[in-house]
Amino acid sequence: MGEIDRIAEIMHSYKQDPRYLLALLLDIQESENHISTEAMRAVARYLGVSESRVYAVATFYRTLSLKKKGRKIIRVCMGTACHLRGSAAVLHELEKGLGIKVGEATEDGKYTLETVNCVGACALAPVVTCGDDSFGRMDPAKAAELITRGAFE
Amino acid sequence: MIEITINGTPIEVEKGTVLLHAAKENGVEIPTLCNHEGLNREGNCRLCSVEITENGRSKIVASCMFPVTRSISVETDNERVKRARRTVLQLLINRNPKSPVIQQLCSEYGVKREERFALEPDLCIRCGRCVRACETNGTKAIELVGRGFDRHVATPYETESDACIGCLSCATVCPTGKITYDESPGKRKIWHKEFDVLKCARCGIYFATKEMLDWAGRPENDRAYCDHCQKYIESVKFLTEHEQNK
Repeated sequence: MGEIDRIAEIMHSYKQDPRYLLALLLDIQESENHISTEAMRAVARYLGVSESRVYAVATFYRTLSLKKKGRKIIRVCMGTACHLRGSAAVLHELEKGLGIKVGEATEDGKYTLETVNCVGACALAPVVTCGDDSFGRMDPAKAAELITRGAFE
Repeated sequence: MIEITINGTPIEVEKGTVLLHAAKENGVEIPTLCNHEGLNREGNCRLCSVEITENGRSKIVASCMFPVTRSISVETDNERVKRARRTVLQLLINRNPKSPVIQQLCSEYGVKREERFALEPDLCIRCGRCVRACETNGTKAIELVGRGFDRHVATPYETESDACIGCLSCATVCPTGKITYDESPGKRKIWHKEFDVLKCARCGIYFATKEMLDWAGRPENDRAYCDHCQKYIESVKFLTEHEQNK
């Protein structure tokens, strides 16, 4: 089943009512890992809302992504404690190591690099998480090592 | 009718009248950037803040979002109100140092730009007037997209949109002059899209895009003249027929 068919199936599980816009977009995000322009067009037509409205909603929520996300999401905490302990340098190191900018996905579709405002583990600052794993007391050297030893695999 | 006092002067207003408009009708000017009489009210800019007092309690409200339903007393220019407006203007001028409207208001209220907030200067104040204008037209081609610092007005997918008819309503209602367009004889470019502008066969002005007339439902064979000339031609036709029937 191609993307178009999957999206059609998701859409038809909802009534054609503008109030299902967010729910629909969330389902598409989960199924496709991102929301394509075609998907937004189809949703606008199906629910009878303007494309500009769909685009506004899709760009507002962080859960929704217009770019294809990697299968694993590496999150660097940018909360106050992590910030003070140098999370910016850790993020920079990960960007360098993965060859992508924050918000982007690696070319092989494995990873997406994101920032997060607080993971609630300030005692371990700075923190990097990937899926269910978390890595505390990071510094640029340790962050680089995480990539080389495949800790995110 | 409900009796309220504005700056100590008693006035009568119809129930449900929005405070901003009630004040204006009675000659009291309240500054605003996001309010526009032809558009829905959203209360985005907060510049029209006033102080209302009811049962001895006072509070600051955005007058454009406050329908008068009870007898209240309103102060539109006291120190507390000025302070509220100064805060709003401070935030506006920090990000938007170049708009004449905001510069003017800031000089009236004695607000100066704080250089320590080195934000990228931006004429847009996110008041949403353009979005509401487009929505009111029914075209719905632009929206406020993104969030936080990234929030900005855009067409879907930041590219040319089928929904845009090139009517310039957005640029017309923009209070700060952020929305610009290119216009040359017969051509118009706005929101990444190029339009052909039709020329009036009588007076020669460029009067509307093809898309605007499509949207208005004007038949293809009835697009030679601008509104003004169309009226002129109709009235001449009417008068000649009238003469003949005499």
